[in-house]
This record gives sequence, structure tokens and C-alpha cells, in this order.
Amino acid sequence: MRALLRWVRADLRAHRGQAALMVLVTAVIAVSLILANALLRDAANPWQRIFLQSRGAHVWIHVRSGADTAPLTRLDGVTGVAGPYSTASADLVRGAEKVSLELRAAGPQLPSVARPLVRSGRWLDPARSDGIVLESSLARAMRADVGGTVTVRARDGATRTMRVLGVADSADQGSYPDWTPGLGWVLPTALDRVEPDPAHIQQAIGLRLRDPGSADFTAQQAVTTLGSGQVTQVTTWQQVRSAMGQDNRLLGLLLGVFGLVALVAAALATAGAAGGRVLAQVRDIAMLKTVGFTPAQVVRLFLYEHTALALAGMALGAGAASLFGPLLPGALGEAMGVWQAEPARAGALAATGAGVVLSIALATALPAWRAGRIPAAPTVRADRPASGISRLARLALLLKLPPALALGSRAAFHRPLRAGLTVARLAIPIMMITVALGSWATLDGFQDHPRQLGLAASLTARPSGIDDAAARRLLTEQPAVAAAYPGAEIPALVPGETTTITLRALGTADHPYPFALAAGHLIRDEDEAVAGQGALNLMHAKVGEWVRVTAGGTPHILHIVGRDIEPDHNGEMLSVDLGALAGPGGTPKAQYYALVLRPGANPTAVRTDLLAASHGRLDVRPVANPAAQLGLVRVVVVGLVGVLTLIGLAELVTATASGLRDHVRDLGVLRAMGLTPRQVTAIIVTSTALLTTAAVLAGTGLGVLLSNRLINMEGQASGVGAGIARMPAPETLLMAGAVAVAVAACVSVVPATRATRARITAALSANRT
Amino acid sequence: MSRSGPDTARVAATPDADHVLPPAEAMLWAQDLVKTHRGAETATHAVRHVDLRVDRGEFVAIMGPSGAGKSTLLHLLGGLDRPDSGRIWLDGQRVDGLSEARWSLLRRRTVGIVFQFFNLVTNMTAADNVELPALLAGMSPRQARARREELFAELDLEDRARSTPAALSGGEQQRVALARALVNEPGLLLADEPTGNLDSRNTRDVLRLLARYHASGQTILLVTHDARVASGADRVISLFDGEIADDTALHAPADGPTTVADVLRLKG
Amino acid sequence: MRLPLLALLAKEPAHGYELKQALEQTFGAAYPQPNIGQIYVTLGRLEKNGLIKGQDIDQSNRPNKRVYEITDAGREELAAWFAEPTEGPRVRDEFFMKLVLAPGAGGSDRLALINTQRRHYLNVMRGLSRLAAQDRDNRVAQLLIEGAMLHLQADLDWLERCQEELD
Ligand SMILES: Nc1ncnc2c1ncn2[C@@H]1O[C@H](COP(=O)(O)OP(=O)(O)OP(=O)(O)O)[C@@H](O)[C@H]1O
Ligand SMILES: [Mg+2]
Repeated sequence: MRALLRWVRADLRAHRGQAALMVLVTAVIAVSLILANALLRDAANPWQRIFLQSRGAHVWIHVRSGADTAPLTRLDGVTGVAGPYSTASADLVRGAEKVSLELRAAGPQLPSVARPLVRSGRWLDPARSDGIVLESSLARAMRADVGGTVTVRARDGATRTMRVLGVADSADQGSYPDWTPGLGWVLPTALDRVEPDPAHIQQAIGLRLRDPGSADFTAQQAVTTLGSGQVTQVTTWQQVRSAMGQDNRLLGLLLGVFGLVALVAAALATAGAAGGRVLAQVRDIAMLKTVGFTPAQVVRLFLYEHTALALAGMALGAGAASLFGPLLPGALGEAMGVWQAEPARAGALAATGAGVVLSIALATALPAWRAGRIPAAPTVRADRPASGISRLARLALLLKLPPALALGSRAAFHRPLRAGLTVARLAIPIMMITVALGSWATLDGFQDHPRQLGLAASLTARPSGIDDAAARRLLTEQPAVAAAYPGAEIPALVPGETTTITLRALGTADHPYPFALAAGHLIRDEDEAVAGQGALNLMHAKVGEWVRVTAGGTPHILHIVGRDIEPDHNGEMLSVDLGALAGPGGTPKAQYYALVLRPGANPTAVRTDLLAASHGRLDVRPVANPAAQLGLVRVVVVGLVGVLTLIGLAELVTATASGLRDHVRDLGVLRAMGLTPRQVTAIIVTSTALLTTAAVLAGTGLGVLLSNRLINMEGQASGVGAGIARMPAPETLLMAGAVAVAVAACVSVVPATRATRARITAALSANRT
Repeated sequence: MSRSGPDTARVAATPDADHVLPPAEAMLWAQDLVKTHRGAETATHAVRHVDLRVDRGEFVAIMGPSGAGKSTLLHLLGGLDRPDSGRIWLDGQRVDGLSEARWSLLRRRTVGIVFQFFNLVTNMTAADNVELPALLAGMSPRQARARREELFAELDLEDRARSTPAALSGGEQQRVALARALVNEPGLLLADEPTGNLDSRNTRDVLRLLARYHASGQTILLVTHDARVASGADRVISLFDGEIADDTALHAPADGPTTVADVLRLKG
Repeated sequence: MRLPLLALLAKEPAHGYELKQALEQTFGAAYPQPNIGQIYVTLGRLEKNGLIKGQDIDQSNRPNKRVYEITDAGREELAAWFAEPTEGPRVRDEFFMKLVLAPGAGGSDRLALINTQRRHYLNVMRGLSRLAAQDRDNRVAQLLIEGAMLHLQADLDWLERCQEELD
């Protein structure tokens, strides 16, 4: 063991640079995996935690007043019931701002199922009939503190001031503002005061199930039991969870995927480096066996060494992530902060570490095994005739070709299998860099061409306290507004009636909204609809099919004529023309207007102008661009390109070293024949550059294909839908490729110069046995 | 010591029963060794039916033209290569059937080997190269270091301990190699042209060292082209075409020339 | 013996005993110990040939000693010696005769002849090695021994060639 350590130490000292590079690569990979882990946990965990603590309900069903919910409690697999609670919708007003609110009537006793977790303040108190408990994300968004007051405006416009008794976490719905309306609990008496009309009171009932996986099925049963006319809304826990975790989960997945691919690339790089080292050290290994190393010990030498490097990298990475992670900007830093406080952290860290170290060890196993098989007798014999190269060299000199080119290409592809492997290993990081650049370009697309990505409107305006005509006039008077499309959104039960999606009516027949279509065509008729990917997934429908949805008790039979790109609401959005919602009472009133601005207009300025012009009676909000949240992705992309570049560098060092080793003797012959050292250096550099060029071509090609696929897959998974992927610009790719080749040439110059400076005789005798 | 002459040695080494025991004084005993190197289309009969016995404390040289199979024979005896057939006893133990790993363990304590080139692990300092086998054989780092310092003092290498092999001259490298081979006080020292790469001055130095260790009881089997080197041995075996052509004990110095005049006269 | 003595005298005049000491000092054990009588005989012969000339010097309470000095004729002779190349060692023709003729004459076979010869050379070599070890400080002697060893080595190599070619 001591002897092994002694050798490992000496070997590491002899290959300091390479070892440091491997440690660095491992460290960076460890950091990205840890960050990914933290983000994924952060994304899923708060909800998970709350759900567990509150014994959350798996299915929430809103029914009309008067419906009998008792049969639901007897449904198969239901183990607990929350409610039914009477609910009423209202607005929460704060200054010019107004948010929609679901008021839920609850007793002074906390329920046992789906129990709100009071985070600050206290629960409802019969002594304070004007008390309200706000869901915590809503409270945060409204900056409402315990002890303060909020104004609730009822459906009829009457306002009422209520005192915030407490703030509570709930797993019943997603966090505000991603999930609207926000949630607040009041005493039944208070609810009656806000909504005196029983016809507008709904019942919300939560079902806790034995098997969470059967939520869809149970929801469907519930709707059948009650009759779909009675049900206004159905939500399953999966919907809530995905709404809670969306942003960070995507980012975490992205990081995780890249981290894993980087790990594979690093493992390959390790295998390559270790293999090269074994080849370079055949004699030393024979010597070790001569002095009494057993084959198993030789195998262990290499395994220990690379595992030690991986461990060092892992430790460095974990240390760096723990120390500096929380200091990172934005969600990353927050996630790391939360992660550090988590008890499960040690396990995750251990698992990540074990995974990384194991992959590296596994990658070293093959070269190590080969080292173990090297015979002890020093019988390295020159098995290749050297005449080939000298004939070629002579020919090249005769033809007055630049010898570097002729000989360099021969040197590069002299052994096709090895050259192929080198190209393949180099191509992997290049491919991943291309994918990273593709992600970057896609983000650029979101920012520069929001229209193509379903973000035609950059503002929404909601009239409050003024009538439709006045609102419309205000909007058309604003010069920066190119078009204002009236819209309304209501929840709709999907076919199968297991969940609700948002049915959005936007634009009119003679003034259709410019949906960003990925497939099909725009709405041309009142029974036509376009759907986001999320909606299609939920409805198990495809473009061209007919679907039946139930909105506000009214069934609508719609022909899905297109799929639009929906960056919002997980893409669970079915869009129709405003006329499609027309009932006996004519077209419904516009709830809001989607404002498309003239090119170059500044949304913030327009918003200010509109707010001023309407004296606060238009609630104008910017449409959230996911690119703004995904800005973090850019940081990640830059980091990843860094890691991949490091890995690529490690591969290059290996490739140059093994190329040199193959050709030391040839180079001696060349120099003996009269090539200048500079020409010989040029040959080596050319050979590396050619290999890199091949790798760049292969890597970029594959990368572009993969990038489109990956991003679209991600889009599909997130409900946004395929069709958002953008290719990196050709000139970007060209630049990246050129830089890669240039770097490769530079990296190979140093060892090449060193090799050519070696004495000719030394080079010639290097292959003697 | 009543060392058996060449002829008796051969007679003693020919029994073909498998259960014979080696004579107690034999450090190394090989019977009917055969090794054929098989190439793609050629087969080289490098060692053919060689019987060989080296007694404890003996210094035996193997001579022969290039390609005679000297190195191959040495590799077989050191377990670096396996014979196609034949039996080998080392220090009383039958070793020809040992696995590679067992051979490695055996080499740590029983066999020291020196080659012509590439005797040292390139990445390690001279000191580490010598201490490595000592550590491998189970010495504590301190013991290994003490033993190494002792050897380096004997071999006049004290100020070279921190150098890497590349920074050493050929003669110094061979002396370090000798130290490496002797650090565990092996029963048998195998040397394959240890001076083949050296000029005459360094050759003389290495020979003197070998003679010194031999005088203190070290058993040595040495392969060489160089008659000067071979003349330091007690016995010279001539290998020709993979077979032993001659096996002769060298006489006591009284029988040889005592002055250069004798030499000149001999050369007539 | 003639020319080496002449060479010593060319350096400086000396008498017989001084010459013997000079010879011993220069060549050491590597060279046969010169006999003083032999030196005097040689000096006499040289003087007769006019290559050196002697002069008696009186010594109190001792016999006179004769100091010799080189003459011009002597210097010419010496110059001619230095100028002419020295004949190299001859091939071992006697052994070669044996080797070629033995098989036909029903004597021992070639391998036995070669082995016998090799043993002999090796023993000689061993003797030389001992000699070299004894007289380690005399560089002239070491060079001489090394020369002899190299000759022997060549002879051994040649034996190997014989074995390869005549087998
Ligand atoms: N690994 C091998 N593969 C094929 N042939 C081999 C191998 N090793 C040795 N040989 C052949 O076996 C014969 C004996 O080789 P060996 O190296 O033992 O000779 P040697 O006596 O040591 O020669 P030298 O004095 O040149 O070192 C030679 O013809 C050689 O070419
Ligand atoms: Mg050899």
C-alpha cells in the first residue's frame, strides 16, 4: 500500500498539469451536479413538504352551490375529505392594484385534511369576524403583513376592509401569481357578508386518496357522480406540483442533463488520458512488475490515482458549492441557501460524490486493466517499419508541397481507429457546446422575437370601475398601442372531466389575435380553437381533432385547428375567439385587453402613460417573458461552456501527447533528413488541428441536431411545446469552430516545440528496446 | 565449498521424475526449459532444453552471440516470461507453475533483476526507485530509507538521491538499478547485460560492485557479451542457438597470467 | 629493451641503475621486471654502435659509475623508431590450423576445440582482471591490461564467429 502511494505520488508530481486539469474538471462537474440537485429539490420540495405536513388533498373539486357533495366522500380510495367549504370570488385591492381572490369559509378549528399551515400570526378567530388569513405567496405578493388590513371588493363592487390575522402555507394550489386566483380564508359569516347571493357561492371539496396515482381517475369519477353541470373546476395534485416547481425544475433539469453529459465527457476524457498514460508508461509498468508489483496492484495504481483525483475534485467542488453557492445571484443562490439548511443534503452530496467518483473510476477501469496485462519482460519492439514515413517525406519534399501539410495529415490519420477515437472524444464536448449555444440562441429568440414565441402582447389592461367602451377608447387613444384584443379567461373542464384548463377567449372574428402557431392555422371560425402543448397533453388530443370542454356549465365543442406556443400556464391553455363564448346574452364582456405595442415602444413607459390616462381605472400589467426568468440559464450556459472547454482541453492534451508518442521516432527521422525543427513542429500542430477540425465538424453537426431535439423536448415537457428551438447563428458556430481549432493548435505548439528540440539521437533511440 | 563441475552439474539436473527435490545447495535449478517465441508466421526457438543449476553464493555468467536466447532464458528464470515446458526451482521451491501475481510476490524478496536499459521508473527519483521495492516487501518507510542510504553510500550515490533517472548518467543509472535490485537482499541477482550500455570505466565500476557483493555471498546470474565482465564470474555458460554449448568453471588466478609479459607471450 | 632505453636517455643522461628504476616506475607490475645485468649488456651494445656515449664519474668510497648520454646517431635511430608504424598482433594461426584440420584428421571435434580455446581465453581474462585489480593506481599498467583484454575479447568474438560459420 505504501509502495502504491509512493508511486501515485511520484506520478502525480510528474503529471502535475494534467492532474490539476482533471481535478478542476471534476470539481466543476461536481458543482453543476450539486447546483442541479439543489434546484430540483428546491423546485419540488416546498410543495412536497407542505403537502406532507398539511395532509394535503390530492384532488380539489369546485361545485356549484347546492350540489350534494356527500357521495364524494364514499368514492373508492378516498381516505379523507377537506370541506366542503363555501367559496366566493372577490378582488383584493391595494392602491391601484387589484388581484382576484378566492375567499374560502372556514371554521375556527383547523381541519385535519388539507390543513392550512399558519406561518405567522394565528388562525381565524370567532371574536374577529373581520379577520382574514392569507395564503403566504399571495400575502407576499400583496405585501400584506399580519396585523395590517386589506381591502376586499365584492362582486357587486362593495369594498370591505379586513384585518390580516395570519399567513398560512397551503398545498391546495400553486403560488400566486402563477396560479390565480389567490387564496384567503375567512369565517362563514364574513363570507356571507361579502357574497350575499347564494347563487354565486360555490363549494370546494378536497379529496385525500389512498393512491395518489389514481387522482385522475377519482376526479373523473367525482365529476360523473356529481354531473358535469355541477362541477366548475377540478384540480389534481400533479397540476399544483408542476405549477409550483416549473421554473427551477426546468433549470435544474437543464443543469442536471448538462452535468451528466459533462460527467460522461469527463469520464471519457479520463479514460483517454489514463489510456494514453498506460501506453506511455509501458516500460515503467514492466519495471514495476519486475520489482514485484502484482498485476492487481498495477491495476490498483491507476484506479487509486484517478479515483484520488476524482475525490479531490469532488471535495473541491463540494467545498466551493457550499461556500460560494449561496452567494450566487438569483434563484441559484436561494436554492443553495435552502439546500444547505436541508437535512437530506448530506445524502444527496454523498450520492452525487459517489456517482462522480464511481464514473471516473469506471472509466479508468479499462486502461487500468490493460496496464495490468502489460508483460513484465521488457519486450517493446518496433513493430512498424519506419520506411513509410520517410518515403512519404521524400515525396513531399520532391513535390515541393508544404511538408507540414502532407505529413501532418498523414500523422493525424495514420492509425484510423485511434484517430477516430480521438475525434469522437473531442467531438463530444464540442457537441455539447453547440447545444449550449443553441439554448442561448433560443433565449435570444424569446427576447428579440417574442411574437414568434407566443408573446405578441407585452401588456394586459384590465378595466376596473370603467365600462368597456371607455376602456377601449383609452386604449385606442394611446399611440404606442398597435392593437388591443379583448379577452376573457374561464376555467374549463377537459374531456374526461378530470382536470381544468384555462379556456381563453382572445380576439374577435374580424380582429383575430396573432397566436404564434407551431402547427395548423389561426382561428377562422367560432368553433375553432388553438391549444398549447400543455392543453393538448391534458386532453390527450391532437391538432385537427374535436374536443368537448365544459366552461361555466356550458359545453363547447371545439375544433382544434392549431397548436400555439404558450409560454404561460404550463401551456394548459385552450384559446378561442371571443365569439365562441357567446351565449344567449351575446358576446361576453372583455375581462381584459391584450395590448400589442408598436415596434420600439417601451412597455414600461406605455404602462405608466395608460395608468395616468385612466386615473388608475385600467389595471395595466406587463406580460411576463419567461426569458426574463430564464436569464439564469445564460449564466448556466456560460458555466457549462467553461466546463466543456476544460474537458475539451484535457482531451486535446491527451491527443497531442499520444500523437507525439506515436511519432517521436518518425520525427527524429524527419529531422535527420533535413526538415527544420520549425517544420517538424508545424507537422505536429497541423496534425492536431486537422483532428480538431474533424471533431468540430462532427460535433457541431450532431450538436445542432441534438440541440433542436433537446430544447423541443424540454418545451414539450414544460407545456410550451416544440417549435421554440433556435439554431445558433452560422457565424457563431463558425467562430466557435475556428476558436476550437486555433486553441488546439496553440495547445499542441508547446509539447511539439519541446519534442522537436530534443536531440535527434535521443529521438532515434527512443524506440530501441 | 565443493562446487560440482560442469559435467556433474548436468548429470544432477537430468532426472525426469516430477517429484525430485533440488539439491540443498542449489539456489536456482532449472530442468529442460523450452521457450519458443511465436510470431505471426515465424517461430523462434529461443531456449531449447536448457538445464541449469546455480548454487548459493555462486557467480555464473552466461555468454553467447546476439539472439542466442540469453535474455529469454533470464526472463524465464526471473518469472518475467513463462516457459513452454520445463521445471524451475528457486530457493528450494518449485516455481514454474506460479501465477503472475505469485511470481511478483516471490520477486520482491528472492529475485533482484537488473537490465541493460530502462531499469528505473522514470517518474520517480533515484531514492524512490530504490525504496519502492523495499516498501513493497513490507519494510517501514524509515527502514526502507535507512537501507537505501546504506546502499547509496556503498555505491557512491549519496548526492544523486533526489535526481530523476533522466538526470543521471548511464553509469549512475546502473548503480541505482543495482541498489534497487539489492535493496531486499534477494537470494538471487539476475542481471541482463548490466554494463552493455556503459563505457569501460563505468563497466569496471559496476563489475567491482558485483564482485564485492559476490564476495559477501550474493548469488549472481549474469548475461553478458563482454568477456571482461564474464571473467569476473566463477563459472561461464556459453549459450548458442538456445542451447548450452559449454559450461566451464574458471580457474583460480594462480593458473592464469601474472604479468602482462605472459599476456604478450600468449599472444605471440 | 634497446629502444626504450634509448628513449629514456633521450630525456636526460643516466646511469644503468637509474634506468632500471625509471623503467619500473613507468610500467609497474604490468611489465616484466628488467634485469640489471641485461640493462648493462644492452647499454654496452648501444655504446658500441655509437648510439650513446658513456662517461665514467668518480665516486668517493664507491666504484665509479658510468653515465650515458644519447648521441646524434642515437637520436636519428629513435626518430626512425617513432616514425615507423608498429606491427599489429597476428592471427592465431595455429589454433586456426587445428580448427580447420581437426575433423579430417580424426582428432577432437570443432566444438570441443572451440570450447577448450574459449576456456583458456576466459581463464587468461580472469587472470588479467585480477592483475588489473592489484595494480589499480598505475595508469600505464591499466592501459596495457585493458589493451590485452580487448585483444582477448576480439579473440573470443572471433571464436563465436568460427562456431557460427563452421557448424
Ligand atoms: N517477444 C519476442 N517475440 C518474438 N521473438 C522474440 C521475442 N523475444 C525474443 N525473441 C527472439 O528470440 C531469440 C532470442 O532472443 P533473446 O533476446 O533471448 O536473445 P539474446 O541472447 O538476449 O540476444 P542479445 O544479446 O541481442 O540481447 C531472438 O531470435 C529474438 O528475435
Ligand atoms: Mg538480450
